[in-house]
Amino acid sequence: MTSGLTRAASEAEAAERSRGRDDRDSAGAPFVIETRELGKRYGDAIVAVDRLTMRVRRGEVYGFLGPNGAGKTTTLRMLLGLIRPTRGAALVVGAPPGAPEGLARIGALVETPAFYPFLSGFDNLGVLARHADVPAKRIHAVLEELELTARAGDRFGTYSLGMKQRLGVAAALLKDPELLILDEPTNGMDAAGMAEMRIFIRSLGRSGRTVLLSSHLMNEVEQVCDRIGVIHKGRLVGEGTVDELRGRASLRVRAEPLEVAERVAAVAPGAEQVAIVDDGLVISAGPGAAAAINRALVEAGVAVSELRLEQASLEQVFLELTQKGEEA
Amino acid sequence: MSGSIAAELLVLRKRRSMWILLGIWTVLATFFSYLLPYVEYRNGDIGARDPDQTPLEQLLPESLAGHLSVGFPFFGGVFALMLGVLALGSEYGWGTLRTVFVQRPGRLRVFAAKLVALGVVLVPFVLSVFAVGAVASYAIAWAEGVEANWPSAWDIGRALVADWLILAVWAALGIALGVLSRGTALAIGVGILYALVVEGLVSAFAGEIGLLEPLVELFLRANAYSLVESVGASTADVENNGPGSFSGPWVGGEQAVVALLGYIAVFLLLSGLLLRRRDVT
Repeated sequence: MTSGLTRAASEAEAAERSRGRDDRDSAGAPFVIETRELGKRYGDAIVAVDRLTMRVRRGEVYGFLGPNGAGKTTTLRMLLGLIRPTRGAALVVGAPPGAPEGLARIGALVETPAFYPFLSGFDNLGVLARHADVPAKRIHAVLEELELTARAGDRFGTYSLGMKQRLGVAAALLKDPELLILDEPTNGMDAAGMAEMRIFIRSLGRSGRTVLLSSHLMNEVEQVCDRIGVIHKGRLVGEGTVDELRGRASLRVRAEPLEVAERVAAVAPGAEQVAIVDDGLVISAGPGAAAAINRALVEAGVAVSELRLEQASLEQVFLELTQKGEEA
Repeated sequence: MSGSIAAELLVLRKRRSMWILLGIWTVLATFFSYLLPYVEYRNGDIGARDPDQTPLEQLLPESLAGHLSVGFPFFGGVFALMLGVLALGSEYGWGTLRTVFVQRPGRLRVFAAKLVALGVVLVPFVLSVFAVGAVASYAIAWAEGVEANWPSAWDIGRALVADWLILAVWAALGIALGVLSRGTALAIGVGILYALVVEGLVSAFAGEIGLLEPLVELFLRANAYSLVESVGASTADVENNGPGSFSGPWVGGEQAVVALLGYIAVFLLLSGLLLRRRDVT
């Protein structure tokens, strides 16, 4: 059975195909979010965010990855105008953070979903819709999209954590925004719910929306995001696509005779650097070159006993980056 | 703006604690304004003219406006204080301010919508007491076989507006305390402490220490009681008003209105400023 979230994801992909993608926002700016040296300091001792410069392009799902307390939520709050930066500047959908003209085009779920516990899910969205001048029919649409229609009449206080998260995402979608800021949206969801939510978020990016996804879950960010910014102790310590962050892959080859294998591999298509390490070859090459290198070795009469691709996991990269941040 | 006001009215209308407060306030106001004094009257020696006894005339429909208004400066005020605190202070506890502030309207528009909605909610707090009070006074007149003469619409209208204004001042104080403390418990505690201890005790000493009199004239209590006195409340009723009793100094009705409006302006300006400038976490 196709669930509402999966259905919505398919529809969003279809919309992407029909519309194509654009790297500029509706105001013509190349970046939907742009911060320059953004910082937040509490007193003299606590630096929550330290000279953060980041850019989020239109239509991408940007992962904001960092351990708890790294400054992710503080940054999101500054982008939404909830807290004032103590230094630097930011533009969000072309407007200063918190400006009504900007907020009209942003949907956000910051930290835990916060709603009136005595109101139903429907009424909670009704309150937000009235504040945002959004027609009531959008409430039904987002409730349907997030599979909350059946429980829409129940009080928010009776919702499970997963349902609260989904209501938070529904509220963020209420204005049909071009930028979504989602802070740990899968928090409290079961495995199936998390998987569905990730597909859904992915689809939002493909439908032309920009998504800034804050998370401490590496696999979530890896699965969902086009680009990732790693934040540690308030500083951006790394940024790029998952592949860029993981670095160039290498091939590890065990073959006999090794000297012949080294000579053949050095001139094989796709191989960049070849070195003998621990009685084997380490070849700098992308995953696509593996078959060609293998063929060249076999055709040269080399006996290949092992050929595997080695690449740093995102977790290794993350630990390395945060370690560097620690030392800095 | 109308959308934001509708949103805030929806929140207050569906909040059970608002209706509970309205019910308790109405029941208590009727109990202390009519039921208890009537029992006291029935059990007392009418001929002794005990100054602590409420005369029958105070309980009849003709005294409705002034007699009911006596309960607003202190008892009604405490309820309005709680309403004000709940309207803003609870938002910090639930974290709903940040949810609302990331919608389209600016912070001050949300704040203004909250004020309008709260102002509307205060209307039934005045009307319900007057409606139940009217029934009670009519019943007493009927039981005593006395003709029921109602005050003029002008007198009732003036009393309704004055009582609403008094509740609005207290609600504004509640809002200010709720925003200052970013919560409810401390705000309600401090508000009641201020009403009972600061204003109550200092007012009580004002008769003995002349230096305090100019200070007391500025108090919320002095101005609120002076206002209800100007719309028909008897000073004897006010002086015999339990923990909310007040025996002067009195100021003129117009001065009282100006002072109360000044209080509202100060409380709301402070709240709006804090709400606009402070970080929302």
